[in-house]
Amino acid sequence: MNKEQTIEELKNIVKPYIQNQEAFDGLTEDTDFINDLKINSANLVDVILDIEEKYDIVIDNEAMERMVNVKAAMEIIENKLSEKNS
Amino acid sequence: MIGNDIVDLALARKESNWQRNRFLDKIFTKNEQQMILNDANPEIMVWNLWSRKEAAYKIYNRETGIRGFFPLQLECFYENGTLGTVSIRGKTYFTQSKIENDSIYTIAVVEKEYFKKIKSINPAVKILKKNGIPFTIDCNSKIEKPVSITNHGRFWEGITLLD
Ligand SMILES: CC(C)(COP(=O)(O)OP(=O)(O)OC[C@H]1O[C@@H](n2cnc3c(N)ncnc32)[C@H](O)[C@@H]1OP(=O)(O)O)[C@@H](O)C(=O)NCCC(=O)NCCS
Repeated sequence: MNKEQTIEELKNIVKPYIQNQEAFDGLTEDTDFINDLKINSANLVDVILDIEEKYDIVIDNEAMERMVNVKAAMEIIENKLSEKNS
Repeated sequence: MIGNDIVDLALARKESNWQRNRFLDKIFTKNEQQMILNDANPEIMVWNLWSRKEAAYKIYNRETGIRGFFPLQLECFYENGTLGTVSIRGKTYFTQSKIENDSIYTIAVVEKEYFKKIKSINPAVKILKKNGIPFTIDCNSKIEKPVSITNHGRFWEGITLLD
Protein backbone atom coordinates (compact mmCIF):
# COMPACT_ATOMS: atom_id res chain seq x y z
CA MET A 1 0.00 0.00 0.00
CA ASN A 2 1.41 3.44 -0.81
CA LYS A 3 1.53 6.52 1.36
CA GLU A 4 -0.94 8.64 -0.58
CA GLN A 5 -3.50 5.90 -0.47
CA THR A 6 -3.09 5.45 3.29
CA ILE A 7 -3.41 9.21 3.86
CA GLU A 8 -6.61 9.29 1.79
CA GLU A 9 -8.06 6.38 3.73
CA LEU A 10 -7.08 7.97 7.00
CA LYS A 11 -8.75 11.21 5.96
CA ASN A 12 -11.98 9.36 5.37
CA ILE A 13 -11.74 7.77 8.80
CA VAL A 14 -11.13 10.98 10.75
CA LYS A 15 -13.55 13.12 8.76
CA PRO A 16 -16.63 12.58 10.96
CA TYR A 17 -14.75 13.70 14.07
CA ILE A 18 -12.82 16.77 12.96
CA GLN A 19 -13.69 20.24 14.20
CA ASN A 20 -11.32 22.26 12.07
CA GLN A 21 -12.12 22.04 8.38
CA GLU A 22 -9.15 24.14 7.27
CA ALA A 23 -6.63 21.88 8.98
CA PHE A 24 -8.45 18.90 7.52
CA ASP A 25 -8.31 20.27 3.98
CA GLY A 26 -4.59 20.88 4.34
CA LEU A 27 -3.89 17.60 6.11
CA THR A 28 -0.30 16.34 5.98
CA GLU A 29 1.74 13.75 7.86
CA ASP A 30 2.51 16.36 10.48
CA THR A 31 -1.13 17.11 11.26
CA ASP A 32 -1.97 16.54 14.91
CA PHE A 33 -5.35 14.93 15.60
CA ILE A 34 -6.04 16.96 18.72
CA ASN A 35 -4.17 20.24 18.33
CA ASP A 36 -4.83 20.72 14.60
CA LEU A 37 -7.96 18.79 13.67
CA LYS A 38 -9.46 19.50 17.13
CA ILE A 39 -10.74 15.97 17.45
CA ASN A 40 -11.88 15.60 21.04
CA SER A 41 -10.03 12.97 22.99
CA ALA A 42 -13.06 10.70 23.46
CA ASN A 43 -13.45 10.63 19.68
CA LEU A 44 -9.82 9.62 19.36
CA VAL A 45 -11.02 6.27 20.64
CA ASP A 46 -13.48 6.12 17.75
CA VAL A 47 -10.70 6.90 15.29
CA ILE A 48 -8.68 4.03 16.75
CA LEU A 49 -11.63 1.63 16.62
CA ASP A 50 -12.45 2.68 13.06
CA ILE A 51 -8.86 2.01 12.00
CA GLU A 52 -8.94 -1.40 13.66
CA GLU A 53 -12.14 -2.28 11.86
CA LYS A 54 -11.10 -0.96 8.47
CA TYR A 55 -7.75 -2.80 8.38
CA ASP A 56 -8.70 -5.73 10.59
CA ILE A 57 -5.79 -5.07 12.94
CA VAL A 58 -5.46 -4.68 16.70
CA ILE A 59 -3.93 -1.46 17.99
CA ASP A 60 -2.35 -2.37 21.30
CA ASN A 61 -1.94 0.08 24.15
CA GLU A 62 1.63 0.85 23.29
CA ALA A 63 0.65 1.86 19.75
CA MET A 64 -2.40 3.73 20.98
CA GLU A 65 -0.21 5.85 23.21
CA ARG A 66 1.57 7.31 20.16
CA MET A 67 -1.57 7.74 18.09
CA VAL A 68 -1.76 11.53 18.28
CA ASN A 69 -0.90 12.52 14.73
CA VAL A 70 -1.24 11.40 11.12
CA LYS A 71 2.36 10.24 10.87
CA ALA A 72 2.12 7.97 13.91
CA ALA A 73 -1.19 6.57 12.72
CA MET A 74 0.28 5.71 9.31
CA GLU A 75 3.30 4.00 10.84
CA ILE A 76 1.10 1.99 13.15
CA ILE A 77 -1.18 0.90 10.32
CA GLU A 78 1.79 -0.16 8.21
CA ASN A 79 3.45 -2.06 11.06
CA LYS A 80 0.33 -3.89 12.08
CA LEU A 81 -0.51 -4.77 8.50
CA SER A 82 2.93 -6.22 7.85
CA GLU A 83 2.80 -8.19 11.12
CA LYS A 84 -0.52 -9.58 10.03
CA ASN A 85 0.71 -10.59 6.61
CA SER A 86 4.01 -12.08 7.71
CA MET B 1 -0.25 21.86 39.68
CA ILE B 2 -3.84 21.60 38.57
CA GLY B 3 -5.97 20.13 35.85
CA ASN B 4 -9.63 20.33 34.99
CA ASP B 5 -12.04 18.76 32.53
CA ILE B 6 -15.69 19.27 31.72
CA VAL B 7 -18.10 17.03 29.83
CA ASP B 8 -21.34 18.38 28.39
CA LEU B 9 -23.50 15.29 28.73
CA ALA B 10 -25.88 16.31 25.94
CA LEU B 11 -22.97 16.74 23.53
CA ALA B 12 -21.27 13.56 24.73
CA ARG B 13 -24.47 11.67 23.92
CA LYS B 14 -24.32 13.08 20.39
CA GLU B 15 -20.59 12.74 19.78
CA SER B 16 -19.85 9.41 21.42
CA ASN B 17 -21.42 6.02 21.69
CA TRP B 18 -19.82 4.55 24.80
CA GLN B 19 -21.68 1.30 24.16
CA ARG B 20 -19.79 0.83 20.94
CA ASN B 21 -18.00 -2.49 20.78
CA ARG B 22 -14.59 -2.31 22.56
CA PHE B 23 -14.94 1.41 23.35
CA LEU B 24 -14.75 0.79 27.09
CA ASP B 25 -11.85 -1.67 26.68
CA LYS B 26 -9.70 1.05 25.16
CA ILE B 27 -10.23 3.53 27.98
CA PHE B 28 -11.11 1.76 31.19
CA THR B 29 -9.35 -0.91 33.25
CA LYS B 30 -11.22 -4.08 34.19
CA ASN B 31 -11.99 -2.60 37.63
CA GLU B 32 -13.31 0.61 36.15
CA GLN B 33 -15.45 -1.30 33.67
CA GLN B 34 -16.92 -3.32 36.54
CA MET B 35 -17.81 -0.09 38.30
CA ILE B 36 -19.44 1.27 35.16
CA LEU B 37 -21.47 -1.81 34.38
CA ASN B 38 -22.61 -2.26 37.99
CA ASP B 39 -23.69 1.34 38.34
CA ALA B 40 -27.35 2.32 38.25
CA ASN B 41 -26.40 4.91 35.66
CA PRO B 42 -23.50 3.60 33.58
CA GLU B 43 -23.45 6.59 31.27
CA ILE B 44 -22.80 9.03 34.11
CA MET B 45 -20.09 6.75 35.47
CA VAL B 46 -18.38 6.61 32.06
CA TRP B 47 -18.11 10.37 31.81
CA ASN B 48 -17.36 10.83 35.50
CA LEU B 49 -14.33 8.53 35.28
CA TRP B 50 -13.34 9.95 31.91
CA SER B 51 -13.31 13.54 33.17
CA ARG B 52 -11.13 12.42 36.12
CA LYS B 53 -8.64 10.82 33.75
CA GLU B 54 -8.51 13.89 31.55
CA ALA B 55 -8.08 16.30 34.46
CA ALA B 56 -5.30 14.10 35.90
CA TYR B 57 -3.69 13.79 32.46
CA LYS B 58 -3.40 17.57 32.30
CA ILE B 59 -1.34 17.63 35.51
CA TYR B 60 0.78 14.69 34.37
CA ASN B 61 1.37 16.34 31.01
CA ARG B 62 2.48 19.59 32.65
CA GLU B 63 4.70 17.82 35.20
CA THR B 64 6.46 15.49 32.80
CA GLY B 65 6.08 17.09 29.38
CA ILE B 66 4.86 13.70 28.18
CA ARG B 67 2.10 13.81 25.62
CA GLY B 68 0.23 10.75 24.44
CA PHE B 69 -2.96 8.81 24.56
CA PHE B 70 -2.81 6.35 27.46
CA PRO B 71 -6.18 6.32 29.22
CA LEU B 72 -5.66 2.80 30.62
CA GLN B 73 -2.59 3.93 32.51
CA LEU B 74 -4.54 6.63 34.30
CA GLU B 75 -6.25 4.48 36.87
CA CYS B 76 -9.15 5.83 38.88
CA PHE B 77 -9.65 5.01 42.52
CA TYR B 78 -13.28 5.87 43.10
CA GLU B 79 -14.05 6.93 46.64
CA ASN B 80 -17.51 8.26 45.79
CA GLY B 81 -19.29 10.25 43.09
CA THR B 82 -17.38 13.36 44.13
CA LEU B 83 -13.98 12.26 45.41
CA GLY B 84 -11.23 9.98 44.28
CA THR B 85 -7.68 9.71 43.02
CA VAL B 86 -6.08 8.95 39.68
CA SER B 87 -2.73 7.18 39.58
CA ILE B 88 -0.26 6.99 36.75
CA ARG B 89 3.27 5.58 36.70
CA GLY B 90 3.80 6.04 40.43
CA LYS B 91 2.12 9.43 40.71
CA THR B 92 -1.23 9.98 42.37
CA TYR B 93 -3.49 12.98 41.89
CA PHE B 94 -6.62 13.91 43.86
CA THR B 95 -9.87 14.57 42.06
CA GLN B 96 -13.09 16.32 42.93
CA SER B 97 -16.04 15.94 40.56
CA LYS B 98 -19.35 17.68 40.33
CA ILE B 99 -22.40 16.51 38.42
CA GLU B 100 -24.85 19.30 37.67
CA ASN B 101 -26.84 20.95 34.89
CA ASP B 102 -26.25 18.08 32.51
CA SER B 103 -22.49 18.32 32.93
CA ILE B 104 -19.70 16.57 34.78
CA TYR B 105 -16.80 18.69 35.93
CA THR B 106 -13.60 17.41 37.54
CA ILE B 107 -10.73 19.29 39.13
CA ALA B 108 -7.48 17.44 39.80
CA VAL B 109 -4.73 18.58 42.19
CA VAL B 110 -1.40 17.27 43.43
CA GLU B 111 -2.13 17.75 47.14
CA LYS B 112 -5.56 17.51 48.76
CA GLU B 113 -5.10 20.87 50.51
CA TYR B 114 -5.06 22.58 47.14
CA PHE B 115 -8.77 22.01 46.63
CA LYS B 116 -9.31 24.93 49.03
CA LYS B 117 -7.09 27.16 46.95
CA ILE B 118 -8.76 26.75 43.58
CA LYS B 119 -9.93 29.95 41.99
CA SER B 120 -11.91 30.31 38.78
CA ILE B 121 -10.35 32.55 36.20
CA ASN B 122 -12.17 35.16 34.21
CA PRO B 123 -12.89 33.86 30.69
CA ALA B 124 -11.83 37.25 29.33
CA VAL B 125 -8.30 37.02 30.71
CA LYS B 126 -5.53 36.50 28.19
CA ILE B 127 -4.31 32.91 28.17
CA LEU B 128 -0.88 32.11 26.80
CA LYS B 129 0.48 28.68 25.97
CA LYS B 130 3.81 26.89 26.07
CA ASN B 131 3.81 23.55 24.27
CA GLY B 132 0.04 23.77 24.34
CA ILE B 133 0.01 24.13 28.13
CA PRO B 134 -1.83 27.26 29.29
CA PHE B 135 -0.74 29.97 31.73
CA THR B 136 -1.53 33.60 32.48
CA ILE B 137 0.67 36.51 33.43
CA ASP B 138 -0.24 38.53 36.49
CA CYS B 139 -0.54 42.14 35.35
CA ASN B 140 1.03 43.56 38.51
CA SER B 141 3.79 41.15 39.40
CA LYS B 142 4.35 39.88 35.82
CA ILE B 143 4.65 36.41 37.31
CA GLU B 144 3.48 33.44 35.22
CA LYS B 145 0.64 31.48 36.75
CA PRO B 146 -0.29 27.98 35.62
CA VAL B 147 -3.94 27.67 34.67
CA SER B 148 -6.06 24.82 33.41
CA ILE B 149 -8.85 25.33 30.95
CA THR B 150 -11.52 23.07 29.54
CA ASN B 151 -14.50 23.46 27.31
CA HIS B 152 -17.10 21.15 25.88
CA GLY B 153 -20.40 22.08 24.29
CA ARG B 154 -22.16 24.68 26.41
CA PHE B 155 -19.51 24.86 29.11
CA TRP B 156 -16.18 26.55 29.76
CA GLU B 157 -14.15 26.44 32.97
CA GLY B 158 -10.77 27.89 33.80
CA ILE B 159 -8.96 27.61 37.11
CA THR B 160 -5.78 28.62 38.86
CA LEU B 161 -4.28 28.15 42.34
CA LEU B 162 -4.27 30.97 44.86
CA ASP B 163 -0.83 31.68 46.32
C1 LIG C 1 -5.21 17.93 27.05
C2 LIG C 1 -6.32 17.16 26.36
C3 LIG C 1 -6.46 15.82 27.03
C4 LIG C 1 -7.65 17.93 26.47
O1 LIG C 1 -8.52 17.64 25.47
P1 LIG C 1 -10.11 17.82 25.51
O2 LIG C 1 -10.71 17.18 26.70
O3 LIG C 1 -10.53 17.31 24.18
O4 LIG C 1 -10.35 19.39 25.60
P2 LIG C 1 -10.49 20.40 26.85
O5 LIG C 1 -11.34 21.51 26.40
O6 LIG C 1 -10.86 19.74 28.11
O7 LIG C 1 -9.03 20.95 27.04
C5 LIG C 1 -8.42 21.68 26.04
C6 LIG C 1 -7.60 22.79 26.64
O8 LIG C 1 -6.70 22.24 27.59
C7 LIG C 1 -5.50 22.95 27.52
N1 LIG C 1 -4.42 22.09 27.98
C8 LIG C 1 -3.63 21.29 27.23
N2 LIG C 1 -2.72 20.69 28.02
C9 LIG C 1 -2.96 21.11 29.27
C10 LIG C 1 -2.35 20.84 30.51
N3 LIG C 1 -1.31 19.99 30.61
N4 LIG C 1 -2.81 21.44 31.62
C11 LIG C 1 -3.86 22.28 31.54
N5 LIG C 1 -4.51 22.59 30.40
C12 LIG C 1 -4.05 22.01 29.27
C13 LIG C 1 -5.35 23.30 26.07
O9 LIG C 1 -4.62 24.49 25.97
C14 LIG C 1 -6.76 23.48 25.57
O10 LIG C 1 -7.09 24.82 25.52
P3 LIG C 1 -8.05 25.45 24.38
O11 LIG C 1 -9.43 25.06 24.79
O12 LIG C 1 -7.78 26.90 24.44
O13 LIG C 1 -7.62 24.81 23.09
C15 LIG C 1 -5.95 17.01 24.86
O14 LIG C 1 -5.82 18.26 24.33
C16 LIG C 1 -4.71 16.21 24.57
O15 LIG C 1 -3.63 16.70 24.37
N6 LIG C 1 -4.86 14.88 24.51
C17 LIG C 1 -3.82 13.93 24.19
C18 LIG C 1 -3.82 12.81 25.11
C19 LIG C 1 -5.16 12.43 25.64
O16 LIG C 1 -6.18 12.59 25.02
N7 LIG C 1 -5.19 11.89 26.81
C20 LIG C 1 -6.43 11.49 27.40
C21 LIG C 1 -6.17 10.82 28.64
S1 LIG C 1 -5.01 9.52 28.34
